[in-house]
Amino acid sequence: MPLDPAFITDWGSAGIRLATPLILATVGGVFAERSGVFNIGIEGMMLVGAFTAVATSYYLGASADPAVISLLAAIAAMLAGGGIAFIHAFLTVTRRVDQIITGAAINILALGLTNTLFRAIWGETGRERVAGFPEVRVPVLADIPVVGPILFQQSLIVFVAYFIPIIAAFVLFRTTWGLTIRAGGDFPLAVDTAGLSVTRVRYAAVLFGGAMAGLAGAALALGAVRYFTPGMTAGRGFIVLGAIVVGRWHPMIAAGACLLFGAADAFQLRAQALNLGIPYQFFIMLPYVLAVAAVAGAIGRASPPQQLGRPYRREAG
Amino acid sequence: MGRIGCRGNQEKAGVGSTDQQSSAPELLRMERITKRFGDLVANDEVTFEVLPGEIHALLGENGAGKSTLMKILYGLQQPDSGQINLDRRPVTIRSPHEAVSLGIGMVHQKFMLVPNLTALENVVLGVSSPRPPLLELRDPRRRLMKLAEEHELAIDPDVPVWQLSVGAQQRLEILKALYRGARLLILDEPTAVLAPVEVGQLFRVMRLLAAEGRGIVFISHKLSEVKAVSDRITVLRLGRVTGSLPTAAASPSILSSMMVGRDVSLERVSPPVQGDAPILELQDVSCLTDRRTPGLDSVSLTVRRGEIVGVAGVDGNGQRELVECIAGLRPITGGRIAIQGRPPKGALRTIGLLGLIPEDRHEQGLVGDFDVAENLVLRAYGRRPFSAFGFLRWNHIRSHAVEQIDAYDIRCPGPETKVHHLSGGNQQKVIVARETQEDPALLVAAQPTRGLDVGAVESVLNLIRGQRDRGAAVLLVSTELPELFAVSDRVVVMHAGQIMGAVPPDPTRLGEVGEMMMGHTIQVAGDGGTAA
Amino acid sequence: MESAATLTRLVRRVFYRLVVPVVSIAAALSVSGVLIVVASGNPLEAYGAMLQGAAGSIGSLATTGVRTTPILLTGLAVAISFRAGVFNVGAEGQLYVGAAFATVVAVAPLGLPGFIHVLLALLAGFVGGALWVAIPAYLRAYRGVSEVVTTLMLNFVGIYLISYLIDPITGPIGERNASYAQSALVQETARLPVLISGTSLHAGLLLGIGLAVALQILLRYTGLGFRLRMLGGNPTAARFTGMNSSRQIVIAMLISGGIAGLAGAGEVIGLRMRLYDRFSPGYGYDGIAVALLANSSPLGVILSASFFGALRAGANAMQQATGIETSLVLIIQALTILFVIFGPLRGWVATRTTRRAGLTPGGSESAP
Repeated sequence: MPLDPAFITDWGSAGIRLATPLILATVGGVFAERSGVFNIGIEGMMLVGAFTAVATSYYLGASADPAVISLLAAIAAMLAGGGIAFIHAFLTVTRRVDQIITGAAINILALGLTNTLFRAIWGETGRERVAGFPEVRVPVLADIPVVGPILFQQSLIVFVAYFIPIIAAFVLFRTTWGLTIRAGGDFPLAVDTAGLSVTRVRYAAVLFGGAMAGLAGAALALGAVRYFTPGMTAGRGFIVLGAIVVGRWHPMIAAGACLLFGAADAFQLRAQALNLGIPYQFFIMLPYVLAVAAVAGAIGRASPPQQLGRPYRREAG
Repeated sequence: MGRIGCRGNQEKAGVGSTDQQSSAPELLRMERITKRFGDLVANDEVTFEVLPGEIHALLGENGAGKSTLMKILYGLQQPDSGQINLDRRPVTIRSPHEAVSLGIGMVHQKFMLVPNLTALENVVLGVSSPRPPLLELRDPRRRLMKLAEEHELAIDPDVPVWQLSVGAQQRLEILKALYRGARLLILDEPTAVLAPVEVGQLFRVMRLLAAEGRGIVFISHKLSEVKAVSDRITVLRLGRVTGSLPTAAASPSILSSMMVGRDVSLERVSPPVQGDAPILELQDVSCLTDRRTPGLDSVSLTVRRGEIVGVAGVDGNGQRELVECIAGLRPITGGRIAIQGRPPKGALRTIGLLGLIPEDRHEQGLVGDFDVAENLVLRAYGRRPFSAFGFLRWNHIRSHAVEQIDAYDIRCPGPETKVHHLSGGNQQKVIVARETQEDPALLVAAQPTRGLDVGAVESVLNLIRGQRDRGAAVLLVSTELPELFAVSDRVVVMHAGQIMGAVPPDPTRLGEVGEMMMGHTIQVAGDGGTAA
Repeated sequence: MESAATLTRLVRRVFYRLVVPVVSIAAALSVSGVLIVVASGNPLEAYGAMLQGAAGSIGSLATTGVRTTPILLTGLAVAISFRAGVFNVGAEGQLYVGAAFATVVAVAPLGLPGFIHVLLALLAGFVGGALWVAIPAYLRAYRGVSEVVTTLMLNFVGIYLISYLIDPITGPIGERNASYAQSALVQETARLPVLISGTSLHAGLLLGIGLAVALQILLRYTGLGFRLRMLGGNPTAARFTGMNSSRQIVIAMLISGGIAGLAGAGEVIGLRMRLYDRFSPGYGYDGIAVALLANSSPLGVILSASFFGALRAGANAMQQATGIETSLVLIIQALTILFVIFGPLRGWVATRTTRRAGLTPGGSESAP
């Protein structure tokens, strides 16, 4: 039964849809970590992004074309994610506070803020469908059997996610900005002595990471369900951290890991119905187990940026 | 505060030679640079100049002020007073970036290379791209390869730096500086990380660069290398210039007298007669450094009951490895070590066996956030009377601290004072008190007086001598020759991981020690070999 | 005279310990108060209702105790790891695995006297938590792999492992044909006693308080505690005393994980009486906040956990009385942490306490 083409189309299509938020946030996370800032607050930033996107779409209501609304919602989500990321950047880069603690506090803050505002807007149980990203069907390509509908008949944001990792890899490896970011996490002193500002590089990378996490939240909320539920990110921000490790801090490989994780997630949803004998929970665990294996060095050399997690301070003496 | 002046003859040597350069076209002139850190004067009215095409060696021990002077030149630190002139024009250098744009390049001891970037990417980091923001590598690659070829600095531009050998990384650092147009190149102890063959290559490169009219500052404390490559030598000692002279005029005896340490007003006391039972025995001991290069090379040494054996030598010639091997903190790759007949593994856990005064007080010797009482029992906390059945007995720990504070004259408000509030000398006394409290058979002291002022130096040395008098075997590692000569019963000299010889602490033998520190083997009459 | 001076010193020390958390809490409450005003509420009324709900009656005090218990334990787990210089962010997963281990023992009809059955269940919880941190501990101590990512990722593996274990269809300890994923009911003999009848306050709170005292004693009065503090204070100096740092890291992490496991065990055999899917709303992460607010002092954790517990307990009362959403307490909690780590106040305390000692910071006065 699993080899039935209809099943594969359905599964693949869902897998890509589920992978989309992961890919967007992962690319942002790769930049932040490459610059030397660990961000376990991605979960919270995604949540804030999801909420902001839905709220924006909700308030714009029927005032404009759904495509325009979703675009504005996405921009609002990116701004919100970037705003939360600013707190992270300020505390970890300027104040040199521990990055883990800051991230953990941000997650709690995001949960508190979105829960409170959600109830304030939609009341106790209310969830209202809002305008989401429009569905796009690429002519001709979408007609290819099996693969066509999987890849080319998706929400607009999915197509964005196709290109983001490629652009990100280009920026990271083919521009001077990328060069500085990569140096910032590996050996910030070299950045400093080269006359570049470590602070500015890290702020930029963290803010970009936050904006991408916000966009990921928008993709999660407006891509399929089109409403907000409290805590709807449900640990995806942590899967992102795993994807970064498994993807060895490379946007394309990390995006590949996200696809794998999305596919596993889509499969577990279906596996419950299929009665395969393998408990579905093991598929959900996959990203996390792979991440542990990756840092433990079980799957190739995965050395993180060497100064990841450490604040930079120019030596005084 | 309390700096000890230099000897008269050194001052003369210094004055005599600087005057000769007045008419030459100078590239760099640092004038009367002074830099203080708290009470420590790191640079005291230092004047230093470099001519175009000159390889100028800057000699001095650790803490002599070389690094501070170069950090000031490279914009990493600001002087308290003094003036820097480049091409006879006064300049202010506020950051390394400004230094680079003024044509100053520096190859740090610890390379400023990003390990996960390729060699070429490291070179262009921070250099504006021809087509920003795109990372344009074609022209830079061509330029880099041309520079590499012209200066015999072979490099593979597309390999990540972490895969390069140390020598290749150093070549890359030099190329990086040249790529940015360095006219003045500072090389901070470049030979410390190189194999002998590579040292030869580096010297060739240095001469090539000098021939192009660049000025080169060569920081080293290896006299032989300085003699081999430099045109002029300036010696720093305790923050002051003790001499500056053309290399051709620098005989080993002049140089070593300039480098020789401060006077210590300790009277020599002839050793109390003790038995001659060997306490520490090393036989053909070899080990590796942290960089996996040879650290110790077949070292044999015996320290007997009731004697202080001084270990002289320029920093970085295996002394650290020697101490760590004896303390069981570094695995040996050959030979045999015995402390009272037992291997050193676990020796640190046996308090009556080995006392260790480590080289770095803050990093290795103390827990800054612990109070004085706690630091005094860092090793003995688990034993009676400080502990019973796994529980600490604070009344004993505290009364012990009160006793020790009194006995060792540790100046602090009380046992509950956090040790990071104490002055360096008092911190060191805490360590000495702790490491000698159970009368260890062997005391190893690594640079115990480094960074201390006169008074503290004397009290620490007196404490060490007291240990010898009570019958301990003492191994005292120091770069301060007068200090070693004042308290040791025998001085061995280390060079390149080997023991070059041993001399009795007779001031007339200072010259021999200087020669051996440079790697010259000397047939020592009398006192015999180093092995038992 | 002597005792008066000692008392003054003690008061002063307590003052400087408390000033950062207290001011941070005040700042967080102020900012949240502004939020309440913006939402056209009355902050005094809201906080009043919250206080009433957290401490207004025996029942509400009991609720505060119930909410305090799990975060007291996870707070202790995180605090002990911090003190040893280790960052265990995996308390959440250790809590779940500890809960599962405890459940296996607690649901078994062992026919043991209550006291022993309870102890066995708690022991199982400790072992489960310690086991769950064992891999990160090994990797950190012997391979130099940072414990942050490993412990964090294993949280989720733990959560889904428990979800599998109690799955009504496939789970080995799931109750068959139940409508929820849940374990069997905990045996009567394995239940923690209720402290105040008519409330849910159970002996887990006493366990937490006792453990806090025990850890304080461990850190201050035992050789093991001395070693752990030395490791946290300066690992290099610890190595230079001949200490086996790797082993101490493993010990610290196992204790930390075990205590987090106890938190899970306590929830199962003290409050819920079954193991449920996703029963923890993030107690493990709250533990980080609790430990941080207490500056990793075990006794301080009692205070900070009580504060967060009271916030949670008072939240419902506040909502009923004023209509303000309960998740406001999450905002208060997060803001408190952000104010603590923000730092200027800590700098002030550091200079004040240093000056008190009659010394200049950095200590560079010359030795005689």
